[in-house]
Amino acid sequence: MKKRGRGIATIMFGFGYGEGFPDHSIASAEIEEEGKILIRTAAADVGQGILTTISQISAEVLKVKPEAIQIIPGDTHLTKNSGSSSATRQTFFTGNAVKEASEGLLSNIYHYASIEFRSNHVELGIKGGYIFRKDNPNNQLSYWELAERVKARGDNLKAESSFFPHTDKPDPETGQGEKLYVAYTFVTQIIDLEVNTDTGIVEVLKVYTAADIGKAINPKNVEGQIEGGTVQGIGMALMEEQIIKEGITLNPDLTGYLIPTSMDTPHFITRLIENEDSEGPYGAKGIGEPATIATAPAIANAIYDAIGVRIYDLPITPEKILKALKEKVKFTSEGWLGL
Amino acid sequence: MEESFGDLKKGQKNCQRTVHCHVPCQGYFAPQKIEEALEILSKYGKEIKIIAGGTDLLVQYYDRLYEINHWLDLKNIQELKEINITQDEMEIGAMVTHTQLETSEDIKKYYPVLSQAAADIGSPQIRNRGTVGGNIVNASPAGDLLAPLMAYNAQFRLLSTTQEEKLVSAEEFFIGPKKTILEPAQLLTQIILPLPSERTYGSWIKIGKRKALIIAAITLALVVEMAEDHKTVKDVRTCLGSVAPTPIEIKEVKKKMAGKNFNQLDFKQLGQIVEDKISPIDDIRGTREYRKDVAKKIMIKALEEIDESMRGEEVI
Repeated sequence: MKKRGRGIATIMFGFGYGEGFPDHSIASAEIEEEGKILIRTAAADVGQGILTTISQISAEVLKVKPEAIQIIPGDTHLTKNSGSSSATRQTFFTGNAVKEASEGLLSNIYHYASIEFRSNHVELGIKGGYIFRKDNPNNQLSYWELAERVKARGDNLKAESSFFPHTDKPDPETGQGEKLYVAYTFVTQIIDLEVNTDTGIVEVLKVYTAADIGKAINPKNVEGQIEGGTVQGIGMALMEEQIIKEGITLNPDLTGYLIPTSMDTPHFITRLIENEDSEGPYGAKGIGEPATIATAPAIANAIYDAIGVRIYDLPITPEKILKALKEKVKFTSEGWLGL
Repeated sequence: MEESFGDLKKGQKNCQRTVHCHVPCQGYFAPQKIEEALEILSKYGKEIKIIAGGTDLLVQYYDRLYEINHWLDLKNIQELKEINITQDEMEIGAMVTHTQLETSEDIKKYYPVLSQAAADIGSPQIRNRGTVGGNIVNASPAGDLLAPLMAYNAQFRLLSTTQEEKLVSAEEFFIGPKKTILEPAQLLTQIILPLPSERTYGSWIKIGKRKALIIAAITLALVVEMAEDHKTVKDVRTCLGSVAPTPIEIKEVKKKMAGKNFNQLDFKQLGQIVEDKISPIDDIRGTREYRKDVAKKIMIKALEEIDESMRGEEVI
C-alpha cells in the first residue's frame, strides 16, 4: 500500500567562516584589449556558477554586457587569494570583492575621462562601454580608447579590491557573540512523498522551497543550487550509507554507495525571497549549503506523517521503514491485548 | 623516442608472458562468423576473454585489463544480433542488447516480463551496450534478465567445434554466483524461448534502493498460463533473482496453483510460500529479513496485477 505524507522543516545558516576567522577575498578589474574587461579572482567555480555571478556583478557596475567580462579564475601566478569555494561564501565574499574592484575601475574611468574631457565627473555619462560629456553626448570615448590614452600617460586603467569583513569570536562560555557570521540564510521546505508500506521504498514527489537569499543575482542559478542541494539532501535522507563490517567499507564506490539519479528527482516549486537585507553584493546571501539542510528533516517529518513512525537515524532505508512498521503493528496489537 | 619504441617492440614480443601488456597483443579477434569465433575459442580456450557489450567485463577488469592477453570480440557477428520468430519459438541472438529487448514489438507482445526487465537494467547507456548473452554468462545472482528467462522456459544454445550443439535450460546452466556450466571452448549463441499461449500473463517486479542504475535487492518474474476455460491455472513459473546463489524457481507455488481456479487462490498463502522457500543473505543491497518480507509482499502484488490484467480483458 502507498501512503502519502507531508513534512516541513525550517533552517537558518550563518555562512562564511565567521567566528573571527580572517576570511576575505581579493579581486581586480582592468580594461583588457578587444572590448573585454578582465576580472582576476581565485574563486573556484565547482559548478555552482560563481563565475557567472561575478560576470553579472561587474557588468552591472561598469554598465556593459556580461559577455564583455573575461575572467582569469584560480591561477596562482595571475590571481590573489579569494578563499575557498566552501562555507557558502563565494557570492558574498568574492561577489563583494569583484563589485568593489569594478567600482574602483569605474572611479578610475571617471577620473581619467574627466582629464581627457577637461570636465568634472558629475558632467559625464556612462553607457555601453562609453563615457561621454552629458552636454555633448557625441563627444565620447570607449573604455578601451580611454585605456590607450591612460597607457600613453604611463599609467594603467585598473583597480584591485579586497573584501575583509569583521566577525567576532564566540564567547567560549556561552557560544554567543555580537556578530559571529556575516549574515544568515533562511530556508523552509515542504516535502510531499509516498511510502510504499510493502517495500519500505520512499518516493519524494514534490519539494516546495522558500529561500530567503537577500537577492538572487542569477535566479536560475539560485534555483539550480536549491534543486541540486535538495537532491543531495534526499540522498542524505534516504540513500547515502557507508556500510562497514569489521573495519572494512563494503561499499567504497558509487555502485554501492548510492546517491539519487535524475529518475529519483522530484518536482520542484521554488520561491525566492529577496529583501536585499545583507552586506553582500546587492544584498545577496549564500545558498550553497542551506539548500541541503532542510531536506532530511522535512523528509523524516513527511514519513512520520505518512506512516506514523519516527526514524531517528539517517539514511531512512527501506529496511528501517519495514522494521519500524512491523514493530508498530506489534506494539499496537500488544497494547490492544493489554486493554 | 627511438629508445622507447624499442622498448615497445620488446614488450610486444614478450607480451604473452609479461604482465604489463600495453600494446594490442596478437590476440584481438573480431570475426564475422560464428564458426570463426568457435575456431578461435577452441585454439585459446581459457586464455581468451569473450567480450560482448563489456558492461560487466570491463568493470570487473577495470584496473587490471593487462591481465587479459587475448580478446574475442563478438561485435561483428551479425547473426548474434537478431531476434527471429518461428512457428513455435523465438530465437534471440546472444548479442541482442537490452535496448533491443526493451523496444522489440515481438518481445513486448510475447514476453512482456522480459521486456520490462530489460527496461529496468542500469541506464540508457548500459542498455545500449549490454547484451542478453552477457547478462546470462556473467551469471550474477542479481542479473535482471535471468529470472524472466527462467520464467519463460528459456533454453540456451551452446556451440563449440568439438562437441555437438547443446540446448540447456536456465536451471541446468546456472550453478552458483558467477558460475555456469559453460566450458572455455563453448559459446552461447542463442536463447530459445517457446512461444507462450495467448492465455499467458506475466508480472515483473524489481526492488532496489533507487529507480535507475541499481543492482536489484530482489526480482520477481511471475508467469501464469491459464487453461482454455480462462479460469483454471494451467502452468505457473515463479522465478526470483537476488535471493539465492542463482536465479531460482519456487516450484511449490506451481503445486498449489496448477489446476485451481485463479479466483479462488489465496494470494497471501502463496506469498508466504515464496517467503518460506527462499534463503537470501545479508548484503549491502538488503538484509535477509528485508528480502524475505518483501518477497512475500511482491508475490502478492504480482498475483494482484495478473488478476487485474485478466479482469481487464473480461471487460473488453
